[in-house]
Amino acid sequence: MKDISKSINRVDNDEKASGQAKYVADIKYEGMLYAITVRSSIVKGEIINIKYPNLPEGYYVVDYKDIPGKNIVKVIFSDMPVFTEKTISYLYEPIALLVGPDKEVLNKLLKQVSIDYKEDEGVFDWVDSVIHYSFDKGDGKKAFSNKRIIEYTYETSYQEQAYIETQGFVGYPEEEKTTLIGSIQCPYYVKNAVIQALGETEDNVRVIQATVGGAFGGKEEFPSLIGCQLAVAVKKIKKPIQLVYEREEDMLVTTKRHPAKIKFKAAIKDDRIYALGVFAGIDGGATIGLSGVVLSRALIACTGVYTIDHLDVSGDVFKTNTVPNGAFRGFGAPQMFFAIEMFVEHVALALGKDVLEFKKAHLAKQNDFTSTMGIFRDPILIPEMIEKAMEKSLYLEKRKEYDKPNSYKGIGMSIFFHGCGFTGSGEKNVIKAKVRLKKDGDLVYILVAAVEMGQGIKTGFRKLVSHMLDIDIERVIFNNPDTDFVPDSGPTVASRTMMIVGGIIARATKEVKNRWQENTFVVEKEYEQPDYIEYDEETFKGDAYPAYSWGVNIVEVEVDKYSYQVNIKNAWSVYDVGKAIDEKIVTGQADGGLAQGLGYGYLEVMDHRVGKIRQKNMTDYIIPTAMDMCPMKTYLFDNPYAFGPYGAKGVGELSLIGGAPAVAMAIEQAIKRRVHKIPVTPEYIMELIKNGEN
Amino acid sequence: MVEAFIPKTINECLSLLTEKDLQIVAGGTDVLIQSKSHTSMLIGFKKDVLYINQIEEMKKIYEDDMYIYIGSTASLESIKDNTIVPILLRNTILEMASPAIRHTGTLAGNIANASPAGDSLVSLYILDALVEIKSLNNTRLVFIKDFIKGVRRIDLSSDEIITKIIVPKLVFTNCYFKKVGPRLTDAISKLSFGGAYSVDGKRISDIRIAFGAVNIFVVRNRLLEERLIGKTVSEIKLMIEEIISWYEPLIKPIDDQRSNKEYRKEVALNLLRSFIESLN
Amino acid sequence: MAKISFKLNDQIVEFESDLNRRLLDVLRDDFNLTGPKEGCGEGECGACAVLLNHEIVNSCCTPLANVIGQEVITIEGFSKTKRYEVIKNAFANTGGVQCGFCTPGMIIATESLLNKNPHPTDFEIRIGLSGNLCRCTGYNLIVEAVKEAFKVGEGLW
Repeated sequence: MKDISKSINRVDNDEKASGQAKYVADIKYEGMLYAITVRSSIVKGEIINIKYPNLPEGYYVVDYKDIPGKNIVKVIFSDMPVFTEKTISYLYEPIALLVGPDKEVLNKLLKQVSIDYKEDEGVFDWVDSVIHYSFDKGDGKKAFSNKRIIEYTYETSYQEQAYIETQGFVGYPEEEKTTLIGSIQCPYYVKNAVIQALGETEDNVRVIQATVGGAFGGKEEFPSLIGCQLAVAVKKIKKPIQLVYEREEDMLVTTKRHPAKIKFKAAIKDDRIYALGVFAGIDGGATIGLSGVVLSRALIACTGVYTIDHLDVSGDVFKTNTVPNGAFRGFGAPQMFFAIEMFVEHVALALGKDVLEFKKAHLAKQNDFTSTMGIFRDPILIPEMIEKAMEKSLYLEKRKEYDKPNSYKGIGMSIFFHGCGFTGSGEKNVIKAKVRLKKDGDLVYILVAAVEMGQGIKTGFRKLVSHMLDIDIERVIFNNPDTDFVPDSGPTVASRTMMIVGGIIARATKEVKNRWQENTFVVEKEYEQPDYIEYDEETFKGDAYPAYSWGVNIVEVEVDKYSYQVNIKNAWSVYDVGKAIDEKIVTGQADGGLAQGLGYGYLEVMDHRVGKIRQKNMTDYIIPTAMDMCPMKTYLFDNPYAFGPYGAKGVGELSLIGGAPAVAMAIEQAIKRRVHKIPVTPEYIMELIKNGEN
Repeated sequence: MVEAFIPKTINECLSLLTEKDLQIVAGGTDVLIQSKSHTSMLIGFKKDVLYINQIEEMKKIYEDDMYIYIGSTASLESIKDNTIVPILLRNTILEMASPAIRHTGTLAGNIANASPAGDSLVSLYILDALVEIKSLNNTRLVFIKDFIKGVRRIDLSSDEIITKIIVPKLVFTNCYFKKVGPRLTDAISKLSFGGAYSVDGKRISDIRIAFGAVNIFVVRNRLLEERLIGKTVSEIKLMIEEIISWYEPLIKPIDDQRSNKEYRKEVALNLLRSFIESLN
Repeated sequence: MAKISFKLNDQIVEFESDLNRRLLDVLRDDFNLTGPKEGCGEGECGACAVLLNHEIVNSCCTPLANVIGQEVITIEGFSKTKRYEVIKNAFANTGGVQCGFCTPGMIIATESLLNKNPHPTDFEIRIGLSGNLCRCTGYNLIVEAVKEAFKVGEGLW
């Protein structure tokens, strides 16, 4: 049998390349109305009175009064209203939809809405902790006494997903049913949220995935908000309605990566980090939503790829009157890995040690305890992966050469992992993924709620099933999920799709294979958690993840000595993703994730002034172009995970995580200064050259 | 209701301008964005529109002994690709926006925008370019530095239109343009710098220095340039700190969502330093 | 309203419309050509790219008035050509397509580039694609696709 990793062409190339693929904004219905959103113009306060203009025939206001069910968007922590009734907690908070047939008229009406507020002063400092977690390992706080202590603080800023397709839905009524077609990662998140908002039965809500033009976490929980809003409108007006954001609205109001501030404290003994104190804060924005889960993923990753026996870890989610932050590829890990990779390097420098040797001396090994006293059960190939990356990039030679004064060149290496799937027992206790395969004559249908959003899962799943059954891929059908036909296999998030959902598909496929002689039948399987996984979310104790994917990035840069602009010259990546189900798809994920990680590290500036995001369009929010990126080389190591299909582990998020620390370290070498925050902009480089620590 | 006019000739265009107050649109790449266009809605023009892109005679690029004439609806790409255009300007255009924008955007449009971050202005100031302006009864030529009157303010009355940009045929020993944007391409400048010089024998016979996006106007000062003329390259290099101190007070940038004033100022002066260091 | 005529995907189209519209809306709303996408609405991302007289332009900042009497080719029209087949296959073979939202624009950019410069260097390819934002691929495999396209399609451009 052929090696499954051997690449095939993606199944969706033709429809996408030719412009035939239908994204939300491409879908139109006879008599379709448009919706635009009425938003707050203050960051904090209360609505005293709203005066809507007289509406022409066929135009509607849809607000909280129209919500038949609960006025709360169901997400992990549900604290966001569908439409705010009174309290405003961030700028541009949604208050109502205006719906009607003509966009020109709608925009005029929007300008005539007048709202009186009782305005309060917004809180932007990180003072209001709404979630606090802490845990320790080994001797905890006690481990720090009578030791040399080294402390540094690291900061990361916002990052915008900047999917090229903005958020949107089209909704329409089907008899009793309310149906939504959306650009979404999680059909069942939307469905369950809408059920709650409409107070409807399961049968009366249907959610279908349109072709998704990029998501990166940005279409994980946010679509539940606008899906509920639109569903309420459809329920009231009983006509098809489109709600598609233009770019400016998307940038100003949708969730972003949490800015973070992470302070580390290392206790040194025998030239090693004996104990590590971690104090992390993240800005949740105005609502909590997923912030607690983001924080816990960050905290669990606090030791990076290193084993440190004694830990004292705590973290907070702070509430501020700013746009709510949420899911973004990496989900807390990019912040923490940037910080810990820099910190371990800075500690080595403070101790006068060779950075690479210092890092190697701390590397986690198979059977070591994780930060939460779980166990790294599978082999860890990091030493070989480092060797490979160094050999391919000529790292040591370049590192030496660029160390010369005024080289303005640098090469940096990051080492990282990503815990695959949901943290802790989320899969078993919360998601309970179900997968269905249907054999019908010559064809096999994959019925799951996983979404193709560019990551290649449509190809990956079809390839997986056809490979196991040894049949042509054309005979395996996988359509965009429609909740009327597919079971809840969970959201398309957390690098879980191939490893977890694919794992269940593989088990179901085995049964299909055994019963191949039967003509028509359906196989349904559920997630089974490996026996060894035990995790206590309260105490942060146990195996936080069933498996880990690992990576090494090496990035080479040149800094312009006059303009301080960073030019990325080359990048090399080595990954252990268990087993690539398709090498080309994994390479695509590797390149794209790295580009986002690099952008996060040196290019992408986003900030707010008194609660207003300043970069409100693609002109001001700078993501890399083809000119800014460089040739990228990716090497994969096989290291199969027993419960993943063919040994596959998570891919999607891993490749974003190492970009920022690698580029930051390369810039450090180029300018001979230490970096403590990202993005490392030319402005920051200038400041470092003047005042930074060598 | 906003009306639209699409003249085919300059005369037709000028007659319309005499009769009505019109928003002039050439390629549209900037004005459509400034006019806040929403999906599936009419472009948000505030007044009637004059589309000049169909006037063929305004697309021409040609030369005589003294000057290059660039029609005001010639696309940036066609200017960049035309070898009669001074290399400084061609190199500048290569750093402007993206291929798609360069195919429709125009030099006249970039000038008429009068944005301090307008990329072409630095080179046009260095080249002492002239703007040809026509109304039904009059044609006048204005130096670019006089044409730009402030941020988004230009010397153009409502019955006039830019018909050509006229660039003197200058040959420099060397010229240099550097745009500093937030990324390497397809972005609005944080600042820009241009320099050009000629060496006659051993002495500098002509030197021109200009900065963009660090003040309301492009910064170019002839009196300062004249102080350098007649000196040898090595003499000038010895004066590098002094020259920087001349320009320092002229650089008065702002903070915005793209950068800050400290950076703009320091990098502007760094680029001046690198330009002087590069003289030979 | 005005009577408008231009060449669209090899056919002369004539219709009545307000002139003050974006070409992108005309293509999508009047002709149901939804291959050009709105990504940013301000000429930054290139998802709306079409060929105007065989050169790439952003249809979101091209007024309808400017295409009167001109030739516009969208991805739908271009996808009927041999050149498209070569470019599309190259994108497929290298892995240059992910979410697909930028892909029609990328293919239009590739055509515009190769039409002018049939043997671009890597640097010229990156310049040629610099007005088309992609958030999925990091561009690496798209650059590889363009390289494959002009090699395989030798003689077509």
